[in-house]
Amino acid sequence: MGQDKLLVITDQVAVSISAVSDAIKKLRKEDVVEVDPLIITQATSDSLTSLEFSSIDDVVSLFKTLEFPSDQLLGNISRVLKPGGAVLFHFDSQTIGEQMKNPSLEHELILAGFLDIHRESFGMKCKKPSWKIGSSFALKKTSQVLPKVQMNDDDDLIDEDSLLTEEDLKKPQLPSGDCEVGITKKACKNCSCGRAGDEEKVKLGLTMDQINNPQSACGSCGLGDAFRCSTCPYKGLPKFKLGEKIALSGNFLASDI
Amino acid sequence: MCLTEKKRENQLLILYASQTGNAMDAAERFGREAERRGCPSISVLSMDEFDPSELPNKEAVILVVSTTGQGDNPDSMKGFWRFLLQKNLTEDWLKGVNYAVFGLGDSSYQKYNFVAKKLDKRFSSLGATPIIERGLGDDQHPSGYEGALDPWMSSLWSILYQRNPRLLPNAITPDDTLMDQPKVQVIYHDTEEGLSPMTTSTDFNYLEMQLEKAHSMNPAKYSGKNRPDCFLKLTKNNLLSQVESGKDVRHFEFEAVSCAIDYDVGDILEVLPGQSPEALDAFMQRCNLNPESYITVQARDNENRGFQKPSSPVKLKSFIELTMDVASASPRRYFFEVMSFFATAEHEKERLQYFASPEGRDDLYQYNQKERRTVLEVLEDFPSVQMPFEWLVQLVPPLKTRAFSISSSNSAHPNQVHLTISLVSWTTPYKRKRTGLCSSWLAGLDPNQRVLIPAWISKGCLPPPPPSLPLILVGPGTGCAPFHGFVEERAIQSKSVTTAPVVFFFGCRNEEDDFLYRDFWLSHLQKDGVLSEEKGGGFYVAFSREQPHKVYVQHKMREQSSKIWSLLSQGAAVYVAGSANKMPADVLSALEEIVSNETGVPKEAASTWIRTLERAGKYHVEAWS
Repeated sequence: MGQDKLLVITDQVAVSISAVSDAIKKLRKEDVVEVDPLIITQATSDSLTSLEFSSIDDVVSLFKTLEFPSDQLLGNISRVLKPGGAVLFHFDSQTIGEQMKNPSLEHELILAGFLDIHRESFGMKCKKPSWKIGSSFALKKTSQVLPKVQMNDDDDLIDEDSLLTEEDLKKPQLPSGDCEVGITKKACKNCSCGRAGDEEKVKLGLTMDQINNPQSACGSCGLGDAFRCSTCPYKGLPKFKLGEKIALSGNFLASDI
Repeated sequence: MCLTEKKRENQLLILYASQTGNAMDAAERFGREAERRGCPSISVLSMDEFDPSELPNKEAVILVVSTTGQGDNPDSMKGFWRFLLQKNLTEDWLKGVNYAVFGLGDSSYQKYNFVAKKLDKRFSSLGATPIIERGLGDDQHPSGYEGALDPWMSSLWSILYQRNPRLLPNAITPDDTLMDQPKVQVIYHDTEEGLSPMTTSTDFNYLEMQLEKAHSMNPAKYSGKNRPDCFLKLTKNNLLSQVESGKDVRHFEFEAVSCAIDYDVGDILEVLPGQSPEALDAFMQRCNLNPESYITVQARDNENRGFQKPSSPVKLKSFIELTMDVASASPRRYFFEVMSFFATAEHEKERLQYFASPEGRDDLYQYNQKERRTVLEVLEDFPSVQMPFEWLVQLVPPLKTRAFSISSSNSAHPNQVHLTISLVSWTTPYKRKRTGLCSSWLAGLDPNQRVLIPAWISKGCLPPPPPSLPLILVGPGTGCAPFHGFVEERAIQSKSVTTAPVVFFFGCRNEEDDFLYRDFWLSHLQKDGVLSEEKGGGFYVAFSREQPHKVYVQHKMREQSSKIWSLLSQGAAVYVAGSANKMPADVLSALEEIVSNETGVPKEAASTWIRTLERAGKYHVEAWS
């Protein structure tokens, strides 16, 4: 297999040769002869940043800690691995019982973009997909590029957004959503596009004669807005007596006749 | 699960969560209608007056809830809702409880009636039995929420009657002719006991006392607001916009006179507006009231909430001036109903009864709500009506405070508070020109007048950012107000600690007319200023009307896509403020695009990520209409 590049990472200060060759045997299922692994000790999630992308053939992780590697570290492992490369997570014999109880191990690896995930007697094994370009990159980008947001979760409360159905979330039918197309065709309450201003300029429709000598067929026009019909020409004007000139107050938009 | 036996007392509980009073009106209406149908025991309570752990004991509960602008619960519902969301409540916790939800919302908002929808679902998932499908009132409907409420309420009564006839014995034949009693009684006194005649209304102690007394007497409408946090004196009233622009936007500066004022940037100042002396005189004349008499107002019956024994009488004129909105807010339908009982002219009585009926609802809406008819105007349109003062006290809309985002930093201006306010003006459907009560009152104030203004400080939706937090600010128009404070504050902080970058997107019509605080922003763009390039900052302006096509803040944001993404990936928080209801949605949309384009993730993933920003307290919107 030539000069396969193998990376061993561990949180320990030092790691024994036998532990490494043991792990390699499990990974490659063959005897280790000519492998010169790159070993990173006291590894943290940042330790792999100096390694080039897609430069490592296989990775062995020998962490003693109870915690599974963070998704940042997993993301980095995936980044430096060549497509098709394998990763072996060798759990510490003291803690392996506890660690294997964690049901999210597969989930974390899937999120990080790995495939072929297996639980083994010693820990976990998985592979980076062999397709180079396309959706696998997008997945990787998601976990790596969108920063994790710190949340102060209220763990003892349900998520209230889960109470809404698909139907609820759909944008409601707006009768007057579009100023041009609405049934009522009126300007919005807080119109900002200028339509409300245009509506203001519509002419009154009252002649001077009607103002000087107001008449009313129904008899109600002079009683004030409370008694006027929706089509009354005197709508908006103060009360008046029939035949007497209507007093237009200052705050009334007079017609420009 | 509660093991106590359910009390089968034929009791109806009506709970409401109201922000601006509409849900409360609706709830009180349910109460009255239930009373007319003979319900033996009715309780109408705001959600913050009720202990939710009592819910399993109730036989029938009606819930009336408003959804506020951004899809949120009203403040009075927060505790109640938190309780209901607990994971440890079992799915049979509300077994045996019959319930119905009516929501008040506005379908022009994305999160239409979300509060009612979630409440309905939560109740049923906790085992409660729905009486009827949830009702959704819509402001966009020609008659507003009452369009949905009337038919829904009819169905509600008939189903309730079928299930338990003893709960509403008169459901089939409600007694509409019986007149209700007012909830208050007014006692007249000869003098204001124990007060020296030397005090004047420019003395804030006197004003404070009057305000406190008046508020404590006014029926149930002033939870938590009896005593103002401070009294303010106007020191500056400067026009910021050009006179020819057709807009009137002003910069106001106030000084606290009664006590030291303390606030954070992003906080809200609520002021109690004055009412025009002419309007007040006209009202008192119309209602045959003696402005000089002294009164105390008490509850008529003993079991009610919020009434304290008033300390001493208050001047009638002050009571009206400080607590009753006579020339701005519109009365509700019930006002017309009560008026009809006191109309002596036959045609007026008929017309008022018509307005109060279901058939007349649409015409009432056109005449009253849409036209924004004031109490004074309504009383003048029906001159034969003489309503006793008790009814006026109960039914005239309460004078409400108006809230504004503070535009100053307290550190930069000790003992002062500044506001940036646009005069509200519009033309009614009947072509009458109207202006907003508070904005026009303030615009007309002269610093030399020495008027004292009662004010309260409260938290809004914009928490003050620590100096180390990078900021992306979007505030077109008067939305720039809180960010003016943010920048002042950060400038001061930068003198003692390293501050994180600030990027601000502003928008207005054009450079001439309404480029608010232009010199201020530009000064901070200079070398080493808070918005300067050296500090990693930025200032971008969208002039919407300087070219044939509209350019808004979201367009400017897209131009700065990589800068925005760079800040976001450093953990920046996003703050959006302003006065149009489409703007926050447009800004959100632009952000989703930016995240998606800069990272290559699909739009849905970007959208979800931004929602986690919201939940983590890194995305804030203060939108007003």
